[in-house]
Amino acid sequence: MSTNKTWFITGASKGFGLLFVQQLLAKGDNVAATSRNISDLEKAAGTHPNFLPLEVDLTNEQSVATAINTTVAKFGKLDVVVNNAGYGLLGTLEELSDAESRGNFEVNVFGLLNVIRQAMPHLRAQGSGHIFNISSIGGFTGNFPGFGIYCATKFAVTGLSESLAAEVKEFGINVTIVLPGYFRTNFLEAGSLAVPKNSIDAYRSTRDSQQAHQNDINGNQAGDPEKGVAKIIKVAEEANPPLYLFLGSDALNLAHAKIAAVDTEIAAWRAVSVSTDF
Amino acid sequence: MQDKIKKTWFITGASKGLGLAIVKQLLAAGQNVAATSRNIASLTTAVGTTHKNFLPIQANLADDTSVKQAIAETNTTFGSIDVLINNAGYGIGGSLEELTDAEVRTAFDVNVFGTINTIRHVLPYMRQQQSGHIINIASIAGFTAGTGWAPYAATKFAIVGLTEVLADDVRAFGIKATVVAPGAFRTNFLNDDSLAIPQNPIADYADVRASHQHYLTMNGNQAGDPEKAAAVMIEAGFNPNPPVHLFLGTDAYTRALAKIESLTNEIELLKDITTSTDY
Repeated sequence: MSTNKTWFITGASKGFGLLFVQQLLAKGDNVAATSRNISDLEKAAGTHPNFLPLEVDLTNEQSVATAINTTVAKFGKLDVVVNNAGYGLLGTLEELSDAESRGNFEVNVFGLLNVIRQAMPHLRAQGSGHIFNISSIGGFTGNFPGFGIYCATKFAVTGLSESLAAEVKEFGINVTIVLPGYFRTNFLEAGSLAVPKNSIDAYRSTRDSQQAHQNDINGNQAGDPEKGVAKIIKVAEEANPPLYLFLGSDALNLAHAKIAAVDTEIAAWRAVSVSTDF
Repeated sequence: MQDKIKKTWFITGASKGLGLAIVKQLLAAGQNVAATSRNIASLTTAVGTTHKNFLPIQANLADDTSVKQAIAETNTTFGSIDVLINNAGYGIGGSLEELTDAEVRTAFDVNVFGTINTIRHVLPYMRQQQSGHIINIASIAGFTAGTGWAPYAATKFAIVGLTEVLADDVRAFGIKATVVAPGAFRTNFLNDDSLAIPQNPIADYADVRASHQHYLTMNGNQAGDPEKAAAVMIEAGFNPNPPVHLFLGTDAYTRALAKIESLTNEIELLKDITTSTDY
Protein backbone atom coordinates (compact mmCIF):
# COMPACT_ATOMS: atom_id res chain seq x y z
CA MET A 1 0.00 0.00 0.00
CA SER A 2 1.69 3.23 -1.12
CA THR A 3 1.69 6.08 1.31
CA ASN A 4 -0.49 8.55 -0.50
CA LYS A 5 -0.18 12.17 0.52
CA THR A 6 -2.78 14.78 1.29
CA TRP A 7 -2.32 18.05 -0.54
CA PHE A 8 -3.93 21.48 -0.03
CA ILE A 9 -3.80 23.60 -3.21
CA THR A 10 -5.04 27.19 -3.48
CA GLY A 11 -6.23 28.84 -6.68
CA ALA A 12 -7.18 25.55 -8.28
CA SER A 13 -9.82 26.41 -10.88
CA LYS A 14 -7.24 27.08 -13.59
CA GLY A 15 -3.55 27.28 -14.41
CA PHE A 16 -0.99 25.52 -12.25
CA GLY A 17 -3.58 24.92 -9.52
CA LEU A 18 -5.89 22.93 -11.73
CA LEU A 19 -3.01 20.89 -13.11
CA PHE A 20 -1.96 20.01 -9.57
CA VAL A 21 -5.44 18.68 -8.89
CA GLN A 22 -5.45 16.60 -12.07
CA GLN A 23 -1.94 15.20 -11.77
CA LEU A 24 -2.22 14.41 -8.07
CA LEU A 25 -5.54 12.61 -8.36
CA ALA A 26 -4.12 10.60 -11.25
CA LYS A 27 -1.28 9.39 -9.04
CA GLY A 28 -3.63 8.44 -6.22
CA ASP A 29 -3.06 11.26 -3.75
CA ASN A 30 -5.71 13.12 -1.75
CA VAL A 31 -6.39 16.65 -2.87
CA ALA A 32 -8.16 19.51 -1.13
CA ALA A 33 -8.32 22.49 -3.48
CA THR A 34 -9.67 26.00 -3.15
CA SER A 35 -11.29 28.53 -5.42
CA ARG A 36 -13.29 31.71 -4.85
CA ASN A 37 -16.13 29.99 -6.67
CA ILE A 38 -16.80 26.32 -6.05
CA SER A 39 -18.77 25.77 -9.24
CA ASP A 40 -15.81 26.98 -11.34
CA LEU A 41 -13.67 24.47 -9.52
CA GLU A 42 -16.09 21.57 -9.80
CA LYS A 43 -16.68 22.31 -13.47
CA ALA A 44 -12.96 22.34 -14.17
CA ALA A 45 -11.83 19.48 -11.97
CA GLY A 46 -14.82 17.18 -11.92
CA THR A 47 -15.49 14.82 -9.02
CA HIS A 48 -13.34 12.11 -7.46
CA PRO A 49 -13.52 10.28 -4.13
CA ASN A 50 -10.09 11.67 -3.14
CA PHE A 51 -10.97 15.22 -4.19
CA LEU A 52 -12.31 17.86 -1.81
CA PRO A 53 -13.27 21.10 -3.57
CA LEU A 54 -13.52 24.07 -1.23
CA GLU A 55 -14.96 27.52 -1.75
CA VAL A 56 -12.61 29.86 0.07
CA ASP A 57 -11.93 33.57 0.32
CA LEU A 58 -8.21 33.43 1.03
CA THR A 59 -8.21 36.99 2.37
CA ASN A 60 -10.66 35.94 5.09
CA GLU A 61 -8.79 34.04 7.76
CA GLN A 62 -11.90 32.33 9.09
CA SER A 63 -12.71 31.01 5.63
CA VAL A 64 -9.16 29.66 5.40
CA ALA A 65 -9.32 28.09 8.86
CA THR A 66 -12.54 26.28 7.98
CA ALA A 67 -11.01 24.98 4.75
CA ILE A 68 -7.88 23.62 6.42
CA ASN A 69 -9.78 22.06 9.29
CA THR A 70 -12.25 20.44 6.90
CA THR A 71 -9.32 19.02 4.95
CA VAL A 72 -7.68 17.48 7.99
CA ALA A 73 -11.02 16.16 9.24
CA LYS A 74 -11.69 14.42 5.92
CA PHE A 75 -8.25 13.04 5.12
CA GLY A 76 -6.78 12.68 8.61
CA LYS A 77 -3.59 14.62 7.85
CA LEU A 78 -2.02 17.37 5.80
CA ASP A 79 1.23 16.64 4.01
CA VAL A 80 1.77 19.28 1.36
CA VAL A 81 0.49 22.85 1.12
CA VAL A 82 0.81 24.62 -2.22
CA ASN A 83 0.21 28.37 -2.00
CA ASN A 84 -0.53 28.86 -5.67
CA ALA A 85 -3.33 31.45 -5.77
CA GLY A 86 -2.23 34.82 -7.08
CA TYR A 87 -2.54 37.15 -10.02
CA GLY A 88 -0.46 39.54 -12.07
CA LEU A 89 -0.84 43.32 -11.90
CA LEU A 90 0.70 45.69 -14.39
CA GLY A 91 0.96 49.43 -13.77
CA THR A 92 3.49 51.94 -12.46
CA LEU A 93 3.40 53.03 -8.82
CA GLU A 94 1.98 56.37 -9.93
CA GLU A 95 -0.79 54.89 -12.06
CA LEU A 96 -2.10 52.33 -9.63
CA SER A 97 -4.36 53.56 -6.87
CA ASP A 98 -3.80 52.67 -3.23
CA ALA A 99 -6.67 50.17 -3.51
CA GLU A 100 -5.34 48.56 -6.70
CA SER A 101 -1.87 48.20 -5.17
CA ARG A 102 -3.10 46.80 -1.87
CA GLY A 103 -5.42 44.44 -3.76
CA ASN A 104 -2.49 42.56 -5.23
CA PHE A 105 -0.97 42.07 -1.76
CA GLU A 106 -4.31 40.85 -0.44
CA VAL A 107 -4.21 37.64 -2.43
CA ASN A 108 -0.54 37.21 -3.26
CA VAL A 109 0.74 37.84 0.27
CA PHE A 110 -1.90 38.12 3.02
CA GLY A 111 -3.96 35.23 1.63
CA LEU A 112 -0.82 33.11 1.49
CA LEU A 113 0.03 34.06 5.06
CA ASN A 114 -3.48 33.11 6.22
CA VAL A 115 -2.98 29.64 4.79
CA ILE A 116 0.41 29.24 6.45
CA ARG A 117 -0.87 30.51 9.78
CA GLN A 118 -3.74 28.03 9.75
CA ALA A 119 -1.77 25.08 8.41
CA MET A 120 1.20 25.35 10.76
CA PRO A 121 -0.45 24.01 13.94
CA HIS A 122 -1.38 20.83 12.05
CA LEU A 123 2.06 20.44 10.49
CA ARG A 124 3.81 21.03 13.81
CA ALA A 125 1.61 18.50 15.55
CA GLN A 126 2.51 15.96 12.87
CA GLY A 127 6.19 16.81 12.96
CA SER A 128 6.18 16.75 9.17
CA GLY A 129 4.98 18.57 6.10
CA HIS A 130 6.08 20.55 3.07
CA ILE A 131 5.01 24.04 2.11
CA PHE A 132 5.46 25.18 -1.50
CA ASN A 133 5.04 28.91 -2.02
CA ILE A 134 4.61 29.80 -5.67
CA SER A 135 6.53 33.03 -6.11
CA SER A 136 7.79 34.03 -9.57
CA ILE A 137 10.98 34.91 -11.37
CA GLY A 138 9.51 38.37 -10.76
CA GLY A 139 9.99 37.60 -7.07
CA PHE A 140 13.74 37.42 -7.63
CA THR A 141 14.42 40.11 -10.21
CA GLY A 142 12.57 43.32 -10.97
CA ASN A 143 13.48 43.11 -14.65
CA PHE A 144 9.83 43.62 -15.66
CA PRO A 145 8.90 47.20 -16.56
CA GLY A 146 5.53 48.12 -15.18
CA PHE A 147 5.30 45.19 -12.79
CA GLY A 148 6.54 46.94 -9.65
CA ILE A 149 3.64 46.04 -7.38
CA TYR A 150 3.44 42.45 -8.60
CA CYS A 151 7.19 42.04 -8.14
CA ALA A 152 6.89 43.54 -4.66
CA THR A 153 4.29 40.91 -3.73
CA LYS A 154 6.41 38.10 -5.13
CA PHE A 155 9.63 39.38 -3.59
CA ALA A 156 7.70 39.40 -0.30
CA VAL A 157 6.72 35.76 -0.81
CA THR A 158 10.32 34.85 -1.58
CA GLY A 159 11.63 36.65 1.50
CA LEU A 160 9.08 35.32 3.97
CA SER A 161 9.63 31.81 2.64
CA GLU A 162 13.38 32.00 3.28
CA SER A 163 12.68 32.89 6.86
CA LEU A 164 9.84 30.39 7.19
CA ALA A 165 12.15 27.60 6.03
CA ALA A 166 14.57 28.39 8.84
CA GLU A 167 11.92 28.75 11.52
CA VAL A 168 10.11 25.45 10.84
CA LYS A 169 13.12 23.26 10.30
CA GLU A 170 13.14 22.21 13.93
CA PHE A 171 9.64 20.75 13.45
CA GLY A 172 10.64 18.58 10.50
CA ILE A 173 8.81 20.78 8.01
CA ASN A 174 10.25 21.70 4.61
CA VAL A 175 9.67 24.87 2.61
CA THR A 176 10.31 25.39 -1.10
CA ILE A 177 10.02 28.66 -3.02
CA VAL A 178 8.95 28.04 -6.61
CA LEU A 179 10.02 30.78 -9.05
CA PRO A 180 8.51 30.11 -12.46
CA GLY A 181 9.38 32.06 -15.57
CA TYR A 182 6.71 32.50 -18.24
CA PHE A 183 4.34 29.53 -18.47
CA ARG A 184 1.48 29.09 -20.90
CA THR A 185 -1.47 29.56 -18.53
CA ASN A 186 -4.25 32.18 -18.26
CA PHE A 187 -1.89 34.43 -16.27
CA LEU A 188 -1.70 37.11 -19.00
CA GLU A 189 -5.33 36.80 -20.12
CA ALA A 190 -7.67 39.75 -19.77
CA GLY A 191 -9.59 38.05 -17.00
CA SER A 192 -6.45 37.41 -14.97
CA LEU A 193 -3.86 40.13 -15.57
CA ALA A 194 -5.01 43.34 -13.89
CA VAL A 195 -4.13 46.72 -15.36
CA PRO A 196 -4.59 50.29 -14.03
CA LYS A 197 -8.01 51.88 -14.22
CA ASN A 198 -6.27 55.19 -14.94
CA SER A 199 -3.13 54.64 -16.97
CA ILE A 200 -0.70 57.45 -17.79
CA ASP A 201 0.37 57.39 -21.40
CA ALA A 202 3.70 59.07 -20.70
CA TYR A 203 5.00 55.84 -19.16
CA ARG A 204 6.04 54.50 -22.55
CA SER A 205 8.12 51.56 -21.34
CA THR A 206 5.21 50.37 -19.22
CA ARG A 207 2.71 50.80 -22.08
CA ASP A 208 5.10 48.86 -24.35
CA SER A 209 5.45 46.19 -21.69
CA GLN A 210 1.66 46.01 -21.36
CA GLN A 211 1.28 45.69 -25.11
CA ALA A 212 3.92 42.99 -25.34
CA HIS A 213 2.53 40.95 -22.49
CA GLN A 214 -1.12 41.11 -23.53
CA ASN A 215 -0.59 40.61 -27.25
CA ASP A 216 2.75 38.95 -27.97
CA ILE A 217 3.74 36.93 -24.96
CA ASN A 218 0.26 35.76 -24.02
CA GLY A 219 -0.28 32.34 -25.55
CA ASN A 220 3.35 32.06 -26.58
CA GLN A 221 5.02 31.52 -23.24
CA ALA A 222 7.85 29.00 -23.40
CA GLY A 223 6.96 27.12 -20.28
CA ASP A 224 4.78 24.02 -20.32
CA PRO A 225 2.65 24.13 -17.18
CA GLU A 226 2.09 20.36 -17.24
CA LYS A 227 5.84 19.85 -16.95
CA GLY A 228 6.19 22.61 -14.37
CA VAL A 229 3.63 21.07 -12.05
CA ALA A 230 5.06 17.58 -12.57
CA LYS A 231 8.50 18.83 -11.49
CA ILE A 232 7.12 20.39 -8.31
CA ILE A 233 5.31 17.15 -7.46
CA LYS A 234 8.58 15.29 -7.99
CA VAL A 235 10.45 17.67 -5.70
CA ALA A 236 7.84 16.98 -3.00
CA GLU A 237 9.08 13.40 -2.93
CA GLU A 238 12.65 14.35 -2.10
CA ALA A 239 14.06 13.79 1.36
CA ASN A 240 16.08 17.01 1.20
CA PRO A 241 14.13 19.33 -1.07
CA PRO A 242 15.63 22.63 -2.22
CA LEU A 243 14.69 26.03 -0.82
CA TYR A 244 14.78 27.82 -4.19
CA LEU A 245 13.27 26.11 -7.25
CA PHE A 246 13.47 28.17 -10.44
CA LEU A 247 11.39 26.75 -13.29
CA GLY A 248 12.01 27.54 -16.94
CA SER A 249 15.09 28.37 -19.02
CA ASP A 250 13.98 31.99 -19.04
CA ALA A 251 13.90 31.97 -15.25
CA LEU A 252 17.39 30.49 -15.13
CA ASN A 253 18.77 33.12 -17.48
CA LEU A 254 17.09 35.97 -15.64
CA ALA A 255 18.33 34.61 -12.29
CA HIS A 256 21.91 34.49 -13.58
CA ALA A 257 21.61 38.00 -15.01
CA LYS A 258 20.27 39.37 -11.73
CA ILE A 259 23.04 37.76 -9.71
CA ALA A 260 25.68 39.07 -12.09
CA ALA A 261 24.24 42.58 -11.99
CA VAL A 262 24.07 42.70 -8.19
CA ASP A 263 27.57 41.21 -7.92
CA THR A 264 28.93 43.94 -10.17
CA GLU A 265 27.14 46.66 -8.26
CA ILE A 266 28.26 45.33 -4.87
CA ALA A 267 31.86 45.30 -6.07
CA ALA A 268 31.63 48.80 -7.52
CA TRP A 269 30.24 50.22 -4.28
CA ARG A 270 32.22 48.06 -1.85
CA ALA A 271 34.28 50.90 -0.43
CA VAL A 272 31.14 52.86 0.41
CA SER A 273 29.39 49.80 1.84
CA VAL A 274 32.13 49.06 4.35
CA SER A 275 32.68 52.71 5.29
CA THR A 276 29.78 53.06 7.70
CA ASP A 277 30.95 51.00 10.70
CA PHE A 278 32.02 52.82 13.86
CA MET B 1 28.67 69.69 1.45
CA GLN B 2 28.59 73.54 1.49
CA ASP B 3 29.33 73.70 -2.22
CA LYS B 4 26.38 71.49 -3.19
CA ILE B 5 23.38 72.82 -5.05
CA LYS B 6 20.38 73.40 -2.78
CA LYS B 7 17.82 70.63 -3.10
CA THR B 8 14.52 69.91 -1.43
CA TRP B 9 14.44 66.66 0.49
CA PHE B 10 11.40 64.77 1.83
CA ILE B 11 12.28 62.36 4.63
CA THR B 12 9.82 60.02 6.34
CA GLY B 13 10.15 58.69 9.87
CA ALA B 14 12.37 61.57 10.90
CA SER B 15 11.94 61.82 14.67
CA LYS B 16 14.68 59.28 15.44
CA GLY B 17 17.25 56.90 13.99
CA LEU B 18 18.55 57.21 10.46
CA GLY B 19 15.79 59.64 9.50
CA LEU B 20 16.74 62.11 12.21
CA ALA B 21 20.44 61.84 11.40
CA ILE B 22 19.71 62.61 7.74
CA VAL B 23 17.50 65.60 8.60
CA LYS B 24 20.09 67.16 10.91
CA GLN B 25 22.95 66.73 8.46
CA LEU B 26 20.90 68.20 5.62
CA LEU B 27 19.83 71.24 7.63
CA ALA B 28 23.42 71.83 8.76
CA ALA B 29 24.34 71.90 5.08
CA GLY B 30 21.69 74.48 4.22
CA GLN B 31 19.40 72.11 2.33
CA ASN B 32 15.59 72.36 2.27
CA VAL B 33 14.06 69.61 4.36
CA ALA B 34 10.49 68.44 4.72
CA ALA B 35 10.26 65.68 7.31
CA THR B 36 7.40 63.54 8.58
CA SER B 37 6.54 61.87 11.81
CA ARG B 38 3.34 60.45 13.31
CA ASN B 39 3.80 63.04 16.06
CA ILE B 40 4.94 66.51 15.10
CA ALA B 41 5.95 67.43 18.64
CA SER B 42 8.47 64.60 18.92
CA LEU B 43 9.82 65.61 15.52
CA THR B 44 10.36 69.27 16.29
CA THR B 45 11.80 68.42 19.70
CA ALA B 46 14.22 65.92 18.19
CA VAL B 47 15.37 68.18 15.37
CA GLY B 48 15.52 71.13 17.75
CA THR B 49 15.27 73.93 15.25
CA THR B 50 12.76 76.27 13.71
CA HIS B 51 15.03 76.92 10.76
CA LYS B 52 13.19 78.37 7.77
CA ASN B 53 14.54 75.55 5.59
CA PHE B 54 12.83 72.98 7.82
CA LEU B 55 9.20 71.93 7.31
CA PRO B 56 8.02 69.43 9.92
CA ILE B 57 4.88 67.56 8.90
CA GLN B 58 2.63 65.27 10.88
CA ALA B 59 1.57 62.48 8.54
CA ASN B 60 0.06 59.02 8.67
CA LEU B 61 2.04 57.32 5.93
CA ALA B 62 -0.45 54.47 5.53
CA ASP B 63 -3.13 57.05 4.68
CA ASP B 64 -2.95 57.98 1.00
CA THR B 65 -4.65 61.34 1.54
CA SER B 66 -2.36 62.30 4.40
CA VAL B 67 0.68 61.55 2.24
CA LYS B 68 -0.70 63.46 -0.75
CA GLN B 69 -1.21 66.52 1.43
CA ALA B 70 2.25 66.30 2.94
CA ILE B 71 3.91 66.19 -0.46
CA ALA B 72 1.75 68.98 -1.87
CA GLU B 73 2.62 71.15 1.14
CA THR B 74 6.31 70.47 0.57
CA ASN B 75 6.15 71.46 -3.07
CA THR B 76 4.21 74.60 -2.24
CA THR B 77 6.69 75.59 0.48
CA PHE B 78 9.92 74.93 -1.38
CA GLY B 79 8.90 74.98 -5.06
CA SER B 80 10.13 71.48 -5.85
CA ILE B 81 10.81 68.02 -4.45
CA ASP B 82 14.17 66.67 -5.47
CA VAL B 83 14.96 63.75 -3.21
CA LEU B 84 12.50 61.44 -1.47
CA ILE B 85 13.94 59.26 1.27
CA ASN B 86 11.53 56.56 2.41
CA ASN B 87 13.03 55.83 5.79
CA ALA B 88 10.02 55.18 8.05
CA GLY B 89 9.77 51.57 9.10
CA TYR B 90 10.20 49.26 12.06
CA GLY B 91 11.37 45.78 12.85
CA ILE B 92 8.95 42.98 13.60
CA GLY B 93 10.06 39.61 14.85
CA GLY B 94 8.16 36.39 15.24
CA SER B 95 7.23 33.29 13.29
CA LEU B 96 4.50 33.41 10.65
CA GLU B 97 2.29 31.29 12.88
CA GLU B 98 2.67 33.53 15.93
CA LEU B 99 2.06 36.87 14.31
CA THR B 100 -1.56 37.65 13.59
CA ASP B 101 -2.98 38.92 10.33
CA ALA B 102 -3.42 42.31 12.03
CA GLU B 103 0.19 42.45 13.26
CA VAL B 104 1.51 41.64 9.80
CA ARG B 105 -0.78 44.11 8.05
CA THR B 106 0.34 46.89 10.38
CA ALA B 107 3.94 46.17 9.47
CA PHE B 108 3.09 46.30 5.77
CA ASP B 109 1.17 49.55 6.29
CA VAL B 110 4.28 51.35 7.47
CA ASN B 111 7.10 49.44 5.80
CA VAL B 112 5.51 49.00 2.37
CA PHE B 113 2.26 50.85 1.70
CA GLY B 114 3.60 54.05 3.24
CA THR B 115 6.52 53.94 0.81
CA ILE B 116 4.24 53.19 -2.14
CA ASN B 117 2.02 56.12 -1.12
CA THR B 118 4.87 58.63 -1.01
CA ILE B 119 6.19 57.43 -4.35
CA ARG B 120 2.74 57.65 -5.95
CA HIS B 121 2.42 61.29 -4.92
CA VAL B 122 5.94 62.48 -5.51
CA LEU B 123 6.19 61.16 -9.07
CA PRO B 124 3.89 63.72 -10.74
CA TYR B 125 6.17 66.48 -9.42
CA MET B 126 9.37 64.70 -10.35
CA ARG B 127 8.10 63.85 -13.82
CA GLN B 128 7.22 67.46 -14.44
CA GLN B 129 10.66 68.50 -13.19
CA GLN B 130 12.24 65.79 -15.35
CA SER B 131 14.47 65.09 -12.37
CA GLY B 132 14.42 63.53 -8.94
CA HIS B 133 15.78 60.71 -6.82
CA ILE B 134 13.79 58.21 -4.79
CA ILE B 135 15.77 56.45 -2.07
CA ASN B 136 14.00 53.58 -0.33
CA ILE B 137 15.50 52.23 2.85
CA ALA B 138 15.02 48.46 3.00
CA SER B 139 17.40 46.25 4.98
CA ILE B 140 19.91 43.46 4.51
CA ALA B 141 16.90 41.39 5.60
CA GLY B 142 15.36 42.42 2.29
CA PHE B 143 18.08 40.51 0.50
CA THR B 144 18.74 37.61 2.83
CA ALA B 145 16.24 36.74 5.54
CA GLY B 146 17.24 35.52 8.98
CA THR B 147 15.45 33.07 11.28
CA GLY B 148 12.55 34.62 13.15
CA TRP B 149 12.03 37.72 11.03
CA ALA B 150 9.76 36.40 8.30
CA PRO B 151 7.21 39.23 8.08
CA TYR B 152 9.96 41.85 8.35
CA ALA B 153 11.85 40.12 5.55
CA ALA B 154 8.64 40.07 3.52
CA THR B 155 8.23 43.84 3.85
CA LYS B 156 11.87 44.56 3.06
CA PHE B 157 12.12 42.14 0.12
CA ALA B 158 9.02 43.89 -1.24
CA ILE B 159 10.79 47.26 -1.10
CA VAL B 160 13.81 45.85 -2.93
CA GLY B 161 11.59 44.40 -5.66
CA LEU B 162 9.49 47.48 -6.25
CA THR B 163 12.60 49.69 -6.34
CA GLU B 164 14.24 47.56 -9.02
CA VAL B 165 11.21 47.97 -11.25
CA LEU B 166 10.77 51.64 -10.33
CA ALA B 167 14.32 52.41 -11.46
CA ASP B 168 13.42 51.17 -14.95
CA ASP B 169 9.95 52.74 -15.04
CA VAL B 170 11.12 56.28 -14.27
CA ARG B 171 14.51 56.38 -15.99
CA ALA B 172 13.12 58.09 -19.09
CA PHE B 173 12.01 61.05 -16.96
CA GLY B 174 15.47 61.66 -15.54
CA ILE B 175 14.41 60.18 -12.19
CA LYS B 176 16.62 57.77 -10.27
CA ALA B 177 15.72 55.09 -7.74
CA THR B 178 17.92 53.44 -5.14
CA VAL B 179 17.20 50.84 -2.48
CA VAL B 180 19.48 50.99 0.54
CA ALA B 181 20.04 47.76 2.47
CA PRO B 182 21.61 48.53 5.84
CA GLY B 183 22.92 45.93 8.23
CA ALA B 184 22.73 46.57 11.97
CA PHE B 185 23.05 50.25 12.94
CA ARG B 186 23.16 51.73 16.41
CA THR B 187 19.69 53.31 16.50
CA ASN B 188 16.47 52.67 18.46
CA PHE B 189 15.58 49.89 16.03
CA LEU B 190 15.94 47.09 18.61
CA ASN B 191 14.42 49.06 21.50
CA ASP B 192 11.19 47.94 23.16
CA ASP B 193 9.29 50.92 21.82
CA SER B 194 10.41 50.31 18.24
CA LEU B 195 10.78 46.59 17.72
CA ALA B 196 7.50 44.69 17.50
CA ILE B 197 7.32 41.16 18.88
CA PRO B 198 4.35 38.79 18.86
CA GLN B 199 1.52 39.49 21.28
CA ASN B 200 1.03 35.73 21.57
CA PRO B 201 4.37 33.96 21.17
CA ILE B 202 4.49 30.18 20.89
CA ALA B 203 7.23 28.78 23.11
CA ASP B 204 7.83 25.80 20.81
CA TYR B 205 9.56 28.06 18.29
CA ALA B 206 12.93 27.66 20.02
CA ASP B 207 15.03 28.74 17.04
CA VAL B 208 12.99 31.91 16.62
CA ARG B 209 13.34 32.79 20.31
CA ALA B 210 17.09 32.10 20.17
CA SER B 211 17.49 34.32 17.12
CA HIS B 212 15.66 37.18 18.82
CA GLN B 213 17.73 36.78 21.98
CA HIS B 214 20.87 37.02 19.90
CA TYR B 215 19.74 40.22 18.21
CA LEU B 216 18.59 41.82 21.45
CA THR B 217 22.01 41.30 23.05
CA MET B 218 23.36 43.33 20.16
CA ASN B 219 21.22 46.33 21.07
CA GLY B 220 23.40 49.31 21.81
CA ASN B 221 26.43 47.60 20.31
CA GLN B 222 25.48 47.50 16.67
CA ALA B 223 28.51 48.01 14.45
CA GLY B 224 26.91 50.57 12.17
CA ASP B 225 27.25 54.32 12.73
CA PRO B 226 23.98 56.01 11.75
CA GLU B 227 25.74 59.34 11.16
CA LYS B 228 27.99 57.73 8.55
CA ALA B 229 25.03 55.97 6.97
CA ALA B 230 23.15 59.26 6.76
CA ALA B 231 26.12 60.96 5.10
CA VAL B 232 26.38 58.18 2.54
CA MET B 233 22.69 58.39 1.70
CA ILE B 234 22.89 62.15 1.31
CA GLU B 235 25.85 61.73 -1.04
CA ALA B 236 23.79 59.24 -3.03
CA GLY B 237 21.04 61.85 -3.27
CA PHE B 238 23.51 64.18 -5.00
CA ASN B 239 25.01 61.50 -7.21
CA PRO B 240 23.91 61.73 -10.87
CA ASN B 241 24.70 58.00 -11.24
CA PRO B 242 23.54 56.33 -8.06
CA PRO B 243 23.38 52.56 -7.74
CA VAL B 244 20.07 50.69 -7.71
CA HIS B 245 21.19 48.62 -4.69
CA LEU B 246 23.38 50.04 -1.94
CA PHE B 247 24.38 47.80 0.95
CA LEU B 248 25.52 49.63 4.08
CA GLY B 249 27.70 48.06 6.74
CA THR B 250 30.37 45.40 6.63
CA ASP B 251 27.83 42.93 7.99
CA ALA B 252 25.41 43.70 5.16
CA TYR B 253 28.15 43.48 2.56
CA THR B 254 29.36 40.13 3.91
CA ARG B 255 25.89 38.64 4.24
CA ALA B 256 24.95 39.77 0.72
CA LEU B 257 27.95 38.01 -0.78
CA ALA B 258 27.29 34.86 1.25
CA LYS B 259 23.69 34.78 0.03
CA ILE B 260 24.80 35.19 -3.58
CA GLU B 261 27.28 32.36 -3.23
CA SER B 262 24.91 29.86 -1.63
CA LEU B 263 22.08 30.70 -4.02
CA THR B 264 24.37 30.41 -7.04
CA ASN B 265 25.34 26.93 -5.87
CA GLU B 266 21.74 25.87 -5.33
CA ILE B 267 20.72 27.16 -8.75
CA GLU B 268 23.59 25.22 -10.35
CA LEU B 269 22.63 22.01 -8.56
CA LEU B 270 19.05 22.23 -9.84
CA LYS B 271 19.87 23.47 -13.34
CA ASP B 272 18.60 20.33 -15.06
CA ILE B 273 15.18 20.43 -13.40
CA THR B 274 14.94 24.17 -14.00
CA THR B 275 15.51 23.84 -17.74
CA SER B 276 13.29 20.78 -18.18
CA THR B 277 9.93 22.56 -18.20
CA ASP B 278 9.99 24.31 -21.57
CA TYR B 279 7.82 23.04 -24.40
